[in-house]
Amino acid sequence: MPLISRPIVDPAEYEEFGCHPFTDSPATPDKVARNVFIRRQVADFNVTMADGKIILFWGFKDPDVSGGDREWPSKLIRVKQGQVVHCEMKPAKNTHTIHWHGIEPSPYNDGVGHTSFEVKSAYTYQWMPHQAGTYLYHCHKNTVLHFEMGMYGVLIVDPVGTGTGANPKLAYDPRPGDSADGIQPGAPYAAESILVFDDIDPRWHTMDHNLGMCGDDVGLDRFEPKYFVISGVPNNKTQTDAKTAIKAKVGTNVLVRLANASYSRVGVKLPVDAWVVEIDGRPLRYNPDLGSYSKPYKISANTEIELATAQRYALWIPNIAAGSHSITGTFRHWVTNKMHPGGQAIAKIIAQ
Amino acid sequence: MTVLSRRQLLRYGASAVAFASATTTLSSFVFASDDEVTSGDPEPGVGGGDVEVDLTIQDVDYELIDGSTVFMYAFCINGAPPRIPGPVLRVREGRDLTVRLTNLSAHAHGFQVPGMSGSAIDTIAPGASATIEFTVGKPGTYFYLDPMFSPVNRVLGLHGALVVEPDDDSASSGAKMPYNPADATAAIQALFASFGASSRFPGNRWNESREKIWIFNQIDARWCQRAANGEIDAVAASEFANDFRPRYFTLNGLCGIDACHDKDTCPTGRIGEPLLLRCLNAGLACHSPHIHGNHVFMLSESKGASGVISYNSNVIERDVWRMESGTIQDCLLPFTAPPDVPPGAWPPKQEKFPLRYPMHCHNEISQTAAGGSYPMGLVTDWHIDGL
Repeated sequence: MPLISRPIVDPAEYEEFGCHPFTDSPATPDKVARNVFIRRQVADFNVTMADGKIILFWGFKDPDVSGGDREWPSKLIRVKQGQVVHCEMKPAKNTHTIHWHGIEPSPYNDGVGHTSFEVKSAYTYQWMPHQAGTYLYHCHKNTVLHFEMGMYGVLIVDPVGTGTGANPKLAYDPRPGDSADGIQPGAPYAAESILVFDDIDPRWHTMDHNLGMCGDDVGLDRFEPKYFVISGVPNNKTQTDAKTAIKAKVGTNVLVRLANASYSRVGVKLPVDAWVVEIDGRPLRYNPDLGSYSKPYKISANTEIELATAQRYALWIPNIAAGSHSITGTFRHWVTNKMHPGGQAIAKIIAQ
Repeated sequence: MTVLSRRQLLRYGASAVAFASATTTLSSFVFASDDEVTSGDPEPGVGGGDVEVDLTIQDVDYELIDGSTVFMYAFCINGAPPRIPGPVLRVREGRDLTVRLTNLSAHAHGFQVPGMSGSAIDTIAPGASATIEFTVGKPGTYFYLDPMFSPVNRVLGLHGALVVEPDDDSASSGAKMPYNPADATAAIQALFASFGASSRFPGNRWNESREKIWIFNQIDARWCQRAANGEIDAVAASEFANDFRPRYFTLNGLCGIDACHDKDTCPTGRIGEPLLLRCLNAGLACHSPHIHGNHVFMLSESKGASGVISYNSNVIERDVWRMESGTIQDCLLPFTAPPDVPPGAWPPKQEKFPLRYPMHCHNEISQTAAGGSYPMGLVTDWHIDGL
């Protein structure tokens, strides 16, 4: 029987690509003056699951805020479009990185070991978001484990402009010549729901930092989630916790930012009509002269939209009606597409 | 058992000489890259350009990233070594494709191009040959595959890309496109017209040399063994969807560093050289490809068994796109300067070209091999070589 062989590769290169990535603590190249300075350090977190079990997570803490190290997922980062951001990251022990997911800086500031380096003692990341929208930040070392261990947070880039009257905030700055049929330009809103869906396999949360990097079979092909959370809130509390059950004033507009940080296909259903106004940090609008070729689209009430892992969607609900509106997330297996046992989590918008 | 289409019988009956003169034979194929077969006819609209392909199906041992081998099925062009995925086939819109298929596998197989009528050969017994001729459909990206016990034989290696190129590849603006103007939506035409002609896309127009094909797949050695044992039948196929537990995740048949080094996989180029990515998921798992450095524009899609291409009227930019089992999506990597570098830091002085960025599936389970070995899974790089 013919043999199809894999290509020949330099063993040293193979080793550095996988088992022993390049580590460094360089000065930031091409450094410019900053508008925003953030610090992040790596820390452990104990989080109580729906059945009362306490599970170990890893994440980033903000050493500048007292109590900032008690927040998991990692603390929200919120900056304005056009600001030069410097983030000093100290891994404390072992190596880690921060990848600014959806932000596209130079490779040194992209946080990927095999295309640049993993941070040994300290590095200051530099980037300047050019487009308002919904992003994530997460560790990109041994990502299969570190992302599951919870090393992520939400990154929101706000526009420069503001809304008016009852809807004082904008999802993004409208530009001259934009068309965005069906919505008010910039998707002005009053209340905001930020929902990050995650699933947890407790077996993975007992693993060592470098496990599975050097050829051992440690079972990282088997992912059997037992717990389901939204923004770190276990799914028995998501309908009451203020993080996931937000309040809105009847008649105002609500922006729902969705992100999938799980290893499942996540279907999301709302009981009201909503418009998709931004995906992956890019507003949906048509303006060929300025490089935009998309348009907002309506998701009718009780129609599911599906988020692949690491996708973000911003849904805009204009003129919200009174009531308690459930946002239902369903977690399905990435191969079989069957719902995981217990794989549902419900958030709420309470409009009064 | 030999299967001939009615059309082909008619054609042979009409004139063998005329058939030969209007057809590109195997000897005149242009090997555009080491795994590609294309028609020798370079000019649209001048007739000719029909393509004949001799494909064989073989049982092979396939070496994985960790040095282990598994049983798989592979396509090959006669005389050339077998490949997984099979060689890329290129045919111009409206031309006839003749596939002469020889089954050298110990097991029965079939052939089909989903989305093209008259392209199916139901069964070819071990040792037998069959021929099918059909007219290729609308421009875009298709699978050719073995539909037997779908999707088992496809996942076990019998898949490749068929690219249909447009006869008329120019938008009203004169910009080249991978589709013809009658099919391309206003948004697609506007995007291609913007390259080299707008503030966002300084540089060049797109041209057909700027293209990569990314075929995703997954491997479960237990199912490879079942195939080697001759255990794939309708009963096994009914168990496949719930029993498939992949432990290797491939891009163009390669894992991790091998895909990063593969010139047919890793896009390279300068700022202002937009590149078309034809993405196909031959496997069963739903992938979440995530690209760093630039977002991509989603152009067209075909889903599952129908193979019918829809051209997007809403051209959305994404950094993660969802690739369900059997899905094909064309997207456009614009090769702009990474947009979130502060203007004062661009062009980079201390950081050097090439700027390297990864593309990987963000369902990170796919970044492993045999239960570990991150990141020896579904990943490649792309390089910005310079301004």
